[in-house]
Amino acid sequence: MPWYLYLALKQLFPSGRRYPFFTLISILGVALGVALLVISISVMGGFGHEIRRMIVDTQGEVQVKARGFIQEPAALQSLLARVPGVAATTAYAEGVAMLEHDRKPAFPAVQGIDLNHVNDVIPLRRFVRLGSLDNLDDDSVILSSQLAISLGARLGSMVELYSPLLLEKLKNDEVMLPRELTVVGIFEVGHQQLDSSVVIVTLRTMQDLYGLGRGVHGVNVKIAEGEDPDRVARRINEALPPDGNVEARSWIDANQDFLFVLQLEKNMIFFLLTFIIIVAAFSVASSLLIAVVRKTREIGLLGALGGKPRQVAACFCFQGFFIGVAGTVVGLVLGFTMLHFRNDMIRVFTQLTGSEEVLTRFYQFSRLPAYTAPTDIALIIACTIVISTLAGLLPAWRAARLKPVEALRSE
Amino acid sequence: MAAPVLTARNLTKTYLSGISQRLQVLRDVSLTVAAGESVSIRGESGSGKSTLINLLAGLDAPDAGTLDWGGSPASVDRRADYLGIVFQSFYLIPEMDALANVLMAARIRGPIGSAERARARDLLGKVGLGERATHLPSQLSGGERQRVALARALMNGPKLVLADEPTGNLDEHTGDAVIELLLSLCRDTRTALVLVTHNAAHAAKCDRPLNLHEGVLG
Repeated sequence: MPWYLYLALKQLFPSGRRYPFFTLISILGVALGVALLVISISVMGGFGHEIRRMIVDTQGEVQVKARGFIQEPAALQSLLARVPGVAATTAYAEGVAMLEHDRKPAFPAVQGIDLNHVNDVIPLRRFVRLGSLDNLDDDSVILSSQLAISLGARLGSMVELYSPLLLEKLKNDEVMLPRELTVVGIFEVGHQQLDSSVVIVTLRTMQDLYGLGRGVHGVNVKIAEGEDPDRVARRINEALPPDGNVEARSWIDANQDFLFVLQLEKNMIFFLLTFIIIVAAFSVASSLLIAVVRKTREIGLLGALGGKPRQVAACFCFQGFFIGVAGTVVGLVLGFTMLHFRNDMIRVFTQLTGSEEVLTRFYQFSRLPAYTAPTDIALIIACTIVISTLAGLLPAWRAARLKPVEALRSE
Repeated sequence: MAAPVLTARNLTKTYLSGISQRLQVLRDVSLTVAAGESVSIRGESGSGKSTLINLLAGLDAPDAGTLDWGGSPASVDRRADYLGIVFQSFYLIPEMDALANVLMAARIRGPIGSAERARARDLLGKVGLGERATHLPSQLSGGERQRVALARALMNGPKLVLADEPTGNLDEHTGDAVIELLLSLCRDTRTALVLVTHNAAHAAKCDRPLNLHEGVLG
C-alpha cells in the first residue's frame, strides 16, 4: 500500500484509539445524507412505480380507443392479434352511472369487461378481495372496497344502476327502469381513487346500459414479454385503417405528462437532498483543513523523509474519498434498513399522532411504497464519493503547498 | 577513491529581515564529509546551524553554491534513500506506534515487506526499545522518542545522517546516552554523520569538530 494511503488510514483510524471521533462524525454526516437520499428517492420511486403498475394492471400496456365507439370489436381484435408483439386483447366499455343502494346514491365509473378475455390482459382476479370474478354475470356487479363501505353494500346486496340512457329515454317520454344487480365481489387495488369510485360489470351489461349494441369503447392490449409498449403501439397504428378513427396509445404515451411530473419531482428531491451531502462535505473539508494546520510539522517531516508534495496531497484527498466511501456504505445500510421497516415506523408514528387515515386519504396508498432503481443507487454512490473526494481537495492543496523547511519550523 | 558522501561548495543563504534589510546567514560555506566520518558543527544561537542543516538536507535551496550527495547533485528524489535526518523535536507521527514510525521512512522509499519489518524491529532493539515497538509516541519518554527517531533515520541504510540538535529537548543524562547511541550506530554501519549541537562535549566526540560563527564555517 502506498505510504500516503497508509497514513491517510492511520490518521482516520489512529492506533490505540477505539473511537476516532473526527472520523466517526464525518462518516456519520455523509451517511445521514446518503440514507435520506436513499429513503426519499426510493419512496418517490415507489409512488411512481406503484402508479405505473396500477395503470398497467387496470388498463393494459396499450389501449386502442375510438373517437366514438368501435362497432366491430371482434374484427379489430383479430387484426390486433396479428400485430407482432401483441400477446392478448380484451374489449371494454366504460362510462359514469348512478348507483343506489339502500337510498344512498353514488356516481362511480363503470367498467364493462369481457369476461372471456379480461384475465389474459388485466390481473383483475388478483384484486378481488371478497367474492369471486367467476360469479360475475349480466345481473351482477363487483364493487370497489371503499364504495361498498360508503354504500353499506355487502356480498349479496342488491344495487340499482341508472345509466345516462335513462335520461335520453325520459326526453322521449319513454320509461326505462334502473338495472338491478347483485353484488358478487368486492375488489381493492390499493389506490384510494380507484377503490372508492369504480364498479365492474360485464361488457354486455355496459353495452345495454349505454345502448352500444355490440360496440365497445376500446380494447386493452397486453404486449409480449420484453416488448416495448411504445413500439407495439406504433406497430398497431401502422396496421390500423388510415381513417384515424381508432388509435393505439401506450400507457407511457397516454400518461406522459403525469410521468414527466413524477420524474421531475424525483429529480428535484434528488437535487435538493444532494445539498445535505454537500453540507457534510463542507464539514469534512473544514475538519481536514484543521488537520492540515494541526499537523503542519508532520507534513514537514514527510517532506523531509522524501515524501513528494503530490503524495502529501493524495494523503488528504484519500481521507475525503475514504470518508465518502465509508459514509456511503453506512448510509446505504441505514437507508435500506429504514426502508425495510418504513411501514412499521409509519404505523407507530401515525398511532402516536392519531393520523392513521391521512396516508390513505391524501396519498392514495394504504402502505408506503418503495422502489429503488439500481441507477438511482449508482448515482447516489457516485455523487457522494465524488463530492467527498472534492472536499479533500482544498486541504490537500494547502498541505501540498507547505514547504518542509517552513512546516518544520512552524509553532 | 570513493566520492565523499557530502560535498557542499560555497553555500550562501540570505534572508530578508524587516522590509528591506537582508541578513546573510551563511557565507561561502564549504564542507566535505567522507563515508563513515562524523562531523560536529557548533555555534551560538542564530549562527546559522539549522539553516546549514536544512541546506545540506536539501530541504531549502541556497542562494549560491552547490551541493552534491555522493558525487551527484542533491535532489528530493534521492533524499529517502540517501539521507537520515534527526530533529530536535523528534517529529514522530502520533497516530502510529514506534514500529510504524520507524517503518514510515521505508514506506516513503517504496513498498515494504517482511525484510523491512524485521529491520525496523532490529533497529528498535538496537536503540533499546525492542519491547516498546507497539507503544504510541505519547506512551514514550522524550529520550525514548528520540531513540525511535534515530531508528527511523537509519531505517533505509542511509549514507549520511544529519542530526539537528538531537539532544536539545532532553535532559543532560538522556542527551549523553542518545549521542552515544547515535555515534555508535553510525560507526557500526559506517554511516557518515553531521551533528549540529550546542554541547561541546557532544561535539568533541565526533571525528571532526567544526564551528559556525556569523555564517562562516571554520
